[in-house]
Amino acid sequence: MDEVKQPISKAKRDRRSKLTSFLFVLPYLIMFLAFLFFPLIYGIYISLNDYNLLAQDHPFIGFDNYARIFNPDSAMFTLFFDGLWNTVKFVVFSVPLLVIIGLALALLLNSLPGKIRGLFRTIYFIPYAISVSVISILFLWILDTNSGLLNNFLMNLGFDPVPWLTRQPFAWISLVGATVWWTLGFNMIIFINALNEVPEDMYEASAIDGATAWQKFIHITLPSIRPIMLFVVITSTIASFNVYGQPYLMTRGGPGDSTEVLLMGIVDLAFEQRELGIASAMALLMSLIMIAVSIVQFKISNRNQEGRKAR
Amino acid sequence: MKQMKKWLGTLFVGFLALVLAACSGNSGVADNNGGSGEEGGSGDSSEITLWAPFSGPDGPYMKEIVDGYNDSQEEYTVDFQIVPQTEYYKNVDLAINGEKNMPDVMIMHGDQIFTYAEKDVLRNMDDIMGDQISEEEYHPSAIEGASVNGELYGVPLDIHPLLFYWNKDMFEAAGLDPEQPPTNRDEFIEYAQKLTDKENNQWGYAVPTLWPQEFIFPTIVNQNGGELYKDGEVQFTSDAVVEALQFEKSLIEEYEVSPKDVQQDGEVTLFLQGKSAMQLNGPWMLEQWEESGINYGVAPVPQLGTEQEGVYANSHNFVIPQNTDDAKLDAITDFLSYVGDNAISWAESGQAPASKAVYESDEFQEVNEQSSQVAKQFDYVSFAPDVDNWGLATSPLMEAVNVALLGQKDVKEALEEAQQKASQALEE
Repeated sequence: MDEVKQPISKAKRDRRSKLTSFLFVLPYLIMFLAFLFFPLIYGIYISLNDYNLLAQDHPFIGFDNYARIFNPDSAMFTLFFDGLWNTVKFVVFSVPLLVIIGLALALLLNSLPGKIRGLFRTIYFIPYAISVSVISILFLWILDTNSGLLNNFLMNLGFDPVPWLTRQPFAWISLVGATVWWTLGFNMIIFINALNEVPEDMYEASAIDGATAWQKFIHITLPSIRPIMLFVVITSTIASFNVYGQPYLMTRGGPGDSTEVLLMGIVDLAFEQRELGIASAMALLMSLIMIAVSIVQFKISNRNQEGRKAR
Repeated sequence: MKQMKKWLGTLFVGFLALVLAACSGNSGVADNNGGSGEEGGSGDSSEITLWAPFSGPDGPYMKEIVDGYNDSQEEYTVDFQIVPQTEYYKNVDLAINGEKNMPDVMIMHGDQIFTYAEKDVLRNMDDIMGDQISEEEYHPSAIEGASVNGELYGVPLDIHPLLFYWNKDMFEAAGLDPEQPPTNRDEFIEYAQKLTDKENNQWGYAVPTLWPQEFIFPTIVNQNGGELYKDGEVQFTSDAVVEALQFEKSLIEEYEVSPKDVQQDGEVTLFLQGKSAMQLNGPWMLEQWEESGINYGVAPVPQLGTEQEGVYANSHNFVIPQNTDDAKLDAITDFLSYVGDNAISWAESGQAPASKAVYESDEFQEVNEQSSQVAKQFDYVSFAPDVDNWGLATSPLMEAVNVALLGQKDVKEALEEAQQKASQALEE
């Protein structure tokens, strides 16, 4: 009767802990399967069909949609690659600014005394919480060539009005500027948290060795926040690839089609022209490109890290 | 194992990308006041559901009509559901595609009817035309707008053409008769020159470089006696089209009555600020003009083209999906007949109903200043051509209009490029 309770065997404990872990992951897994995995598979399937939303039947056509996108004589080729090129431009212009200014602001705020820091952190973060339509209307009013706030200032100072949204390179400058102002707060918050994680004693030790502020930044801060940096670069790149609302609402893709980004073309094709098949094919290609870019970013980051270790 | 993790990591990033791609597709402005159609057609043949994209200020006027109908008789009930305008055709398409939750009758724009009729998802109106409703009860232009190859697919509600608005205070200040809008190109230019005061950033007419050129440009082409699409081909390089664009450009560069580099909605801002005296826009702007408190007038579009009166228009029509139950046709016919006789509420929104019972009535002339001016243009409206994927052809055209008016490309060169792009898009 007086049996000593057997300790649960190691194997059993392992199994139980695995089960617990699994249960914790389960809700995410279900959401992932329902809202990401199956739609993705279905998207791949649709991209292999001649899928007009209104047509009664959607014949399977293999890779014809993809062939049209890669056929230089097709209107779809122009739509896809012109759009992609404009999107890439936006990514190249905006990502460095989003990362560098985000980090700079984080450093600046971190050196402020506590209470003010909290205030400014909130101020810089607020735009991120506003929707793209509001941001766009705001900037449409500020940037209006003939009656906007900014040009009014410029004209009072004796400058000529600048066609902010109707001429290049100003249209890109405006779109990138609005985007940086809008989303900067997010990167900044992430960087502030990363900077707080850097052990204070490393700075103290380097100060004893006589390191300058710049040396501290290069040799202590940057290496310590590397993983966060990678995260910020990748999320900024993905977000910039997905640019849609700002050009759609502010320039309508103009002047001409110079700010007509890829997503605008895809959305138009899918929901105005109802050609879901070829639109899905384009969306999938776009995702593949984004995945490839992210892998390259991982690779570059890892190689640098390994190089450093070897040294 | 480490490789595996990395691979999973990148895969995750990829999925993240897809989610973001999916989400950002919906960032348009949408306001939702009313059910978005979770309940489709019910089994009861005395109850019909009606879908409409009237999520703007026009919604309450349609609701008034429907409520009036429901109160006027006991036999049938109409369940009116507003779907947000920006989501409207998306919802319609998905309902058609899923073949469920379909409305029994719905509003459709004239320029959409061709696409849906081609795909065989709309009922031919012969099914309900007869004693209670007949084509003769509507303006012939409206019937034409709701027809494809001579077959009627919709019962017209209204026609909404481009309109001309002017600022009476500015006319007066410039020494013009504030009650006398220009009626032709010469007057238009003459007035515009008198109204322009470049030094003070005041303009006769600000030429839009984007929307609503989708209405303005075809209007001038039509007035030039031309067509954007004829004999199975786009006509973007024809004389009438080239002249229309050259004329608009001359307002900016030669006559200097319009500012350069007008941005999205820039011409509306200037008009609302009293810095631009004339405006070409649609009847849907009424609410905005009223709210701004400017002293404005409204009239048919002056003849800016060289050949004839003309104006580009779109329309609202009631259409019946193919799979609406036959048993419900009686209820629908009864309702549409009531709307035809009682659409005066719709005129209160600034639109002009296309049924003769309304637009020929005395009451209609007095309902407001705008609606009767809209109806004056009924006789010579033109609509979008019946072409598959016409949207793919108009977007290069609008890009050409944009760059030419911004002074960034020669008119002919821009139109030749658009011609080539549009033909290519339509050929596929």
